Amino acid sequence: MPDELELKLTSTFTFDIESNISLIREILGHSVDLVQRDFIFHQEKQIRGVLFYTDGLIDKEEINKALKTLINCSDEILSSCIGDRMGDELTKNIKTYLLNNVSVNQSNKVQDAIDGILSGDTAIIIDRTEQVIILSSRGADARSIEEPQTEQVVRGPRDGFTENIRTNTALVRRRIRDPQFRVESMKIGKKSKTDVNIAYLKGTVKEGLVEEVKKRLARIEIDAVIDSGYIEELIEDAPFSPFTTVQSTERPDKVASYIFEGRVAIFVDNSPFVLTAPAYFWQFLQASDDYYSRYMSGTFFRLMRYIAFIISLTLPSLYVLLISFHQEMIPTPLALTIASGREVIPFPVLLEALIMEISFELMREAGLRMPKPVGQAVSIVGSLVIGQAAVQAGVVSPFMVIIVALTGIASFAIPNYGASFSIRLIRFPLLIASGTLGLLGFASMFTIIAIHALSLRSFGESYLAPATPFKPSDQKDFLIRMPWWRMDTNAQLAEGEQYRLGEHQVPSPPPKGVDKEGDKGQKPPEKKKSDNENNPPSSKQSLVKIRRKKRKWGKKDET
Amino acid sequence: MKHKGIVFLLFTLSLLLTGCAGKRELNELAIVMAVGIDKGEEGNVRVTAQIPRPSDARGQTGAPSGQTGDAIWSVSAEGKTLFEAIRNLGRFSPRRIFWAHNFIIVINEEFAKTGIQDVIDFFTRNPELRMNTWVAVTPDKAVEVVTTITGLEVIPGEAVDKLLRYSAITSQAPRTTMRNLYSSYLSEGSDPVLTRVRLVEKGVSNEDPGKMNVKQVELAGAGVFKKDKLIGILEGDEVRGLIPFIERLESVILSVSCPNDKSENVSLELRHQNFKIIPGYEDGKPTFHVKLVTYSSIAEADCPISLKDKKQVDEMEKELEELLYNDIKKIVDKVKKDYHADILRLGEEFNNKYPSEWKQLKADWKERLQDAKIDIVVDAKIKNSVLLYNPTKSN
Repeated sequence: MPDELELKLTSTFTFDIESNISLIREILGHSVDLVQRDFIFHQEKQIRGVLFYTDGLIDKEEINKALKTLINCSDEILSSCIGDRMGDELTKNIKTYLLNNVSVNQSNKVQDAIDGILSGDTAIIIDRTEQVIILSSRGADARSIEEPQTEQVVRGPRDGFTENIRTNTALVRRRIRDPQFRVESMKIGKKSKTDVNIAYLKGTVKEGLVEEVKKRLARIEIDAVIDSGYIEELIEDAPFSPFTTVQSTERPDKVASYIFEGRVAIFVDNSPFVLTAPAYFWQFLQASDDYYSRYMSGTFFRLMRYIAFIISLTLPSLYVLLISFHQEMIPTPLALTIASGREVIPFPVLLEALIMEISFELMREAGLRMPKPVGQAVSIVGSLVIGQAAVQAGVVSPFMVIIVALTGIASFAIPNYGASFSIRLIRFPLLIASGTLGLLGFASMFTIIAIHALSLRSFGESYLAPATPFKPSDQKDFLIRMPWWRMDTNAQLAEGEQYRLGEHQVPSPPPKGVDKEGDKGQKPPEKKKSDNENNPPSSKQSLVKIRRKKRKWGKKDET
Repeated sequence: MKHKGIVFLLFTLSLLLTGCAGKRELNELAIVMAVGIDKGEEGNVRVTAQIPRPSDARGQTGAPSGQTGDAIWSVSAEGKTLFEAIRNLGRFSPRRIFWAHNFIIVINEEFAKTGIQDVIDFFTRNPELRMNTWVAVTPDKAVEVVTTITGLEVIPGEAVDKLLRYSAITSQAPRTTMRNLYSSYLSEGSDPVLTRVRLVEKGVSNEDPGKMNVKQVELAGAGVFKKDKLIGILEGDEVRGLIPFIERLESVILSVSCPNDKSENVSLELRHQNFKIIPGYEDGKPTFHVKLVTYSSIAEADCPISLKDKKQVDEMEKELEELLYNDIKKIVDKVKKDYHADILRLGEEFNNKYPSEWKQLKADWKERLQDAKIDIVVDAKIKNSVLLYNPTKSN
């Protein structure tokens, strides 16, 4: 049976309209959403025509307009066509006449027509020609652009990706009006035939990266791609690692900035999550807010997130190892306080920590899956049971509640959901190692994880860059976020132009006196400039010097 | 990949094999806060450990326990050696005795007279014990000092710890830790001194405010050791001359008489000091030049004085200098004549400057010290009258 279908799909159309119709019907069957509209193309010459489209995927207006043009202009279209077999000539004419509507293609392959129908195009079959006209009439209903649910910002754009791939690419395109910005298309999924687009900035993208991405995408053989998560798992570098080496985001501004940094974005139809590669580990800790708010607050909040990362990774393990192995490391008054809280606890601290961690994860998961009104009930019950009742019943110590709560809050401060999840996963081996072997276990497990993370590559880039390998010019946007007027070089990943800023970008008020005159408009600007040159403020001069020096230092080696 | 998986699995499972070896949780420990060492019967050592009961020592709100009994629980045991006595504590203690948080070791003077080498050895050899534990001697029974609940702190050990920590303002006792004791015991050029504490009935009773019958731990001078044996006691006021030699003289209050009215007093607070010992070597004899420069401020004046008046200030400075000179002189004389123990650490100073000469002298250093020339210079300066620049007087 599949062979038969295959055979039909690879065949070509004939000049006989009846057999063409039955061919399509045989392939697509009698689905209710497959619409067949018969029409008379030319009354006198008795030429029939048939439209095929899938209901719900098309824009009816578009089809009606095309149909009207087709019938009204049938004389003109047919004027140059003679004989029973009009073939190419006819379709070529139709194409030119329909062009004032939408994009039109022609093909005599059954496969093309079927693919078109199934993805929202309209197939127009005219009698006495073997060419089928494929009219682009896509217009499925889609969710409108909304604020991203998973990555919210206080300051910054509020638009998020939708399920429509074209909307998504447009959202990015609106931010990159560069002629070099390219979007290339692929289809993945034998049955789903999902559109996958690869977007990059030619000339800026890392050399060979696009080819590598295409190679990895082309390798995929799968029946269906429902979400970009499928693609992510099929192209990532470290499939056995808890770390994610491909970033997914809902924010078009993030994707645009990654593309400017020389990365590649992968759009997948029907998924509001766009993948970008290569990914560094640290970028999962960076939020778009860092860049949109002023650099001081941006840096501060970024540092807070690094602290949150350390807390969410190590805090429960450190607590467990201190309580069960290294009591001498706790300050005495604190040791007494902790001991008094643990006096009635029947479980060893490791078990207590595991119970609390797991119940916290349960609560989070339950709150997430439940409908919103029920979710609230879950969180109320959860916080009461875990926070209050468990302590009063003497099952967990109040200190453990604090530790788990702190860890939970810290893990929510990590802006990328996937990354926060992978950090939460690593926490468990660390916890068990430190609960069984103390500081020794913690240190060795941490070392193992560190070695593993160091060995990772994401599309040829070291995962822990720019920390190791150390990239001096990328430090501007790593632990701290330098002010924009200092971020003069492009990311090291990016090819092409080295500087992203012009010189003298540090804003400063005009020198005293000149400002007043300038306001009155009495002196022409040239005069003002010459004034400046004659008496340059010393601070400005030194600033220029510093900048020049810096440029020399930060020069990229040309390869 | 399959191979890797097996290795990983084996590694993870091997963690379970440890069975949490060496694990002992915080609430399974008896955390010792203070130790007392007394002479026991028949030449035994008696060790008393003061252990807080966490739930009573800390008002625990969540857990259904606490506030039912005493904050501390003290156990006492004897043994032929210190370690045996400590092991014997285990007979009473349901929890493992844990030493790392110990605040203070109190040694009875009778015991100290027979030598404390075993104490020094045990408390420095054991990795669980900290070197910054306070060490003190007491004329009373160490058991009593350790178990007496003093007013403010719930745990007596903590009370004594804080007493010593913030004792700088009284300068009634040197503050000695295990580290000080150990280093001065090991060093050839010095002998140990230890803080001395005693129990006095100085606390005012809550029931009967007229009486002062509540026992309190008080700082009471220093115990002087020769090698590991207690040989003498310095009372509180004598310690003032000793303190500059071993730590810093800080924030001491001294009172001198008023320049214009000898019956009234002026209290001076020593704010800052500059203390130097310059060793010398003349004709095979060590000499020491001790120089103390202090800067003080007026803390309280019973008579109108102003720092503007140079004559008045000079007079007060002179009296203060004399006072400090006598303090130091007294202690130096005592060391030279009575103790024959170098608690001033002069040997170390000498060693630092004349290492090769030291090698010849160190064998009979204690005798050499007796006829060493030690001259003392005190320079006191009154610099500051704090907030009141002009004297307070009526009209």
